[in-house]
Amino acid sequence: MLKIVHYINQFFANIGGEEMAHIPAEVREGIVGPGLAFKQAFKDEAEIVATIVCGDSYFNENIDEAKTSIIEMVKKYNPDLFIAGPAFNAGRYGVACGTIAKAVKDELNIPVLTGMYVENPGADMFKNNIYIVSTKNSAAGMRDAVKKMAPLALKLGKGEKIGASSEEGYLPNGIRVNFFEKERGSKRAVKMLLAKLNDKEFQTEFPMPDFDRVEPNPAIKDITKAKIALVTSGGIVPKGNPDHIESSSASKYGKYDIDGVIDLTEETYETAHGGYDPVYANLDPDRVLPVDIMREFEKEGKIGSLHRYFYTTVGNGTAVKSAKGFAEKYAKELVADGVDAVILTST
Amino acid sequence: MKLELGYILIKDIQFSDVSKVENGTLYVNKEEVKALILEDQNFKAADVELAKPGESVRIMPVKDVIEPRVKVEGPGGIFPGMINKVETVGSGKTNVLKGAAVVTTGKIVGFQEGIIDMTGTGAEYTPFSTLNNLVLICEPIDSLKQHEHEKALRFAGYKVALYLGALAKNLTPDEVEVFETPNLVEGIKMYPDLPRVAYVFMLQSQGLMHDTYVYGVDAKQSLTTMIYPTEVMDGAIVSGNCVSACDKNTTYHHLNNPIIHDLFAEHGKTLNFVGVIITNENVYLADKERSSNWSAKLAGFLGVDGVIVSEEGFGNPDTDLIMNCKKIEAKGIKTVLVTDEYAGRDGTSQSLADADVSANAVVSAGNANEVIELPPMDKIIGHVEVTDVIAGGFDGSLHKDGSITAELQVITGATNEMGFNKLSAR
Amino acid sequence: MIITNNDWVLNKYKDIYNIVYINGTFKDVLIAVRDKLHIGHELLTHPLGSSVKPSETPFKSVMITDKKNNTSIDSIYMIENAIITYDKFNKDKLLSISDKVIEDLKLIDLTVLQSALNI
Repeated sequence: MLKIVHYINQFFANIGGEEMAHIPAEVREGIVGPGLAFKQAFKDEAEIVATIVCGDSYFNENIDEAKTSIIEMVKKYNPDLFIAGPAFNAGRYGVACGTIAKAVKDELNIPVLTGMYVENPGADMFKNNIYIVSTKNSAAGMRDAVKKMAPLALKLGKGEKIGASSEEGYLPNGIRVNFFEKERGSKRAVKMLLAKLNDKEFQTEFPMPDFDRVEPNPAIKDITKAKIALVTSGGIVPKGNPDHIESSSASKYGKYDIDGVIDLTEETYETAHGGYDPVYANLDPDRVLPVDIMREFEKEGKIGSLHRYFYTTVGNGTAVKSAKGFAEKYAKELVADGVDAVILTST
Repeated sequence: MKLELGYILIKDIQFSDVSKVENGTLYVNKEEVKALILEDQNFKAADVELAKPGESVRIMPVKDVIEPRVKVEGPGGIFPGMINKVETVGSGKTNVLKGAAVVTTGKIVGFQEGIIDMTGTGAEYTPFSTLNNLVLICEPIDSLKQHEHEKALRFAGYKVALYLGALAKNLTPDEVEVFETPNLVEGIKMYPDLPRVAYVFMLQSQGLMHDTYVYGVDAKQSLTTMIYPTEVMDGAIVSGNCVSACDKNTTYHHLNNPIIHDLFAEHGKTLNFVGVIITNENVYLADKERSSNWSAKLAGFLGVDGVIVSEEGFGNPDTDLIMNCKKIEAKGIKTVLVTDEYAGRDGTSQSLADADVSANAVVSAGNANEVIELPPMDKIIGHVEVTDVIAGGFDGSLHKDGSITAELQVITGATNEMGFNKLSAR
Repeated sequence: MIITNNDWVLNKYKDIYNIVYINGTFKDVLIAVRDKLHIGHELLTHPLGSSVKPSETPFKSVMITDKKNNTSIDSIYMIENAIITYDKFNKDKLLSISDKVIEDLKLIDLTVLQSALNI
């Protein structure tokens, strides 16, 4: 029989709602709350040996501590599988389930599974790292969630081959897996076309990669008069990274004054980016943010002037939505400052 | 245009003194077939073998698969412009030896893909493992150039298929299916309330070993045009495409185009299947622009509400596929695309070499890079000496016991982009 | 202009067309093409010329405009996608191909290019 450790929050452990969300992680022998539904679904094939309960606020405000203590708890039981949730549409619970499941998988090297609603922020954050079963948006969907999670849990626990997302019910994770459909492709194409023609819902079998192609602005009429700003997602920051821009999944950007700076040096600037070998960027940060060349051009009259501030963030795994949000803010400042053009550098 | 297809169901194939069809068995006189092949002086030797469903047989390297058919009534003959005269086909009656096929093998160039396994894992991926196959092994004369070799082999296949098809000419079919496309005006009158749908049928046309012929014309030299769906069933389109085994359209696929069949199945019920637009996949970018302009223009001209577009091949045709989609969607005509994927062995790479937001309805025929294990077979038919090259050379590896670890792309028809199979990916 | 690493193409067309011969791999050709596109040349043939996959042939010929215009975003997009596509194929086996096969592959590359030149 497979041994499973289950992770749930204070609400599903029947401890309380928001007012009890501060409780730290604790472990209980056997089944608590939704574990019962899993037990019924597993029959004799698997057993929940322990349940870890943790408050959502506690987890999210003390991530490192919570992770360390929970991993210790899980380790003690030496389980074949770790299940978190399902979290449905509860945002902090979803993020906690994703975070802890990924940590258990990475550090203890055992299979993990969670479940949540597709719009739960935890889904987008972790669907490419762990299997997340797609559930309904409220706890009323528990039966349905368990029905989908239990068979996948058993497969994962036994180390069996996992089929395609549409067969197993997990959220598409960027890994394309072959499987046999019930109908041949041409028949599916006809059905899809009929749905599309009748404005009914249909699901493409291959979602196109997301593009956000931007139409170029008209060219600058006289570049020798233009005020140009530098903006980068390459993570160049003043030495010491004063605003603590994260090395990946950045939540903010920085704005720094380069008045009088003619060259970025190893002593004064560095990169905060964690997604590439930083050696060459740190040796000469102009390689990513070309202040030196811009100053030369400024001096030679090839451009009007270099804007006094540069904007910087880390593009490493940063959500497109956050990046757009940054740009919306600083674009306004750039316009207000009379900047005519921006050079965006990436890595 | 109206065509009646009569299916004579073939359940077994055997060699015999006399070629004939009796009680669902196709009897073949081996010597007659060999003599037919050797009529072409480009071949110095020929052999013929049988491969039946369930047998421990591997056929490789496969060039083409052809279904035997014969015209019973109506103008023209099967494969017009190639073997028979350039007469407009697609009407009257045609008999089909359903369940049988002619498979040509050959090593036109030193590297070749194309495996049909009649049993085991590989058999699940190729539709041809379910057929009673007559396999042709033709040895070219020493000095034969690749172009001539490809052509000779192609014609050997057609000739033998017609030879077998002729056996069905006077037989009473086990099953009959009727397909009819009215002219545009009649169609609108018959189904005023149904959405009008066309099929945009992309044909591989990139040069040596990548060609498709329409009534004998190399598709790369043709502008996008129209054809009745039933003309395709009479062999108006044939394959000279020997590359990319998993997603090339063999002549068998053309004859049995599943999109045409499945659109006919809904014709008059949920949609009005107006006709087929055939367009090419050339190498020259200006050609791609021109051909896709014409597909969109013809779709607009026909006044259709929706189209299904099928691709053939890998990489470069993705650009044609997306151009067709973009331009047709821009006319307010809804599109569904059928393609396969090259998402890498681990399934994480970008599947297509081109993409566009308008391609929001795509049917996937599977990831051709996915790795499969093919068990050893008792018998290998074809050119055994190339086994090593085909299986071990590029996308797979041949093990000592004869088993093969390979990417799905070596299997003939595995990820066919007409949607012939049930395989898909998510 | 033809950018190629196929000496058959070089020998056949060197007196008629402007040829840049690359003594290198399929990818080196794609990179050389990309560099030309960045300075304003445009693609004339698709950089993934045929269904012979990058895992199957080391040879590649691509035609681009002789003239330089404004940088064509469509061309850049196409070459970048071609490079991504090239990278995803496993090319281990290309090292062990025989001379006969090499000749065949050069021929295929040449004829695919010809199919574009003849129109």
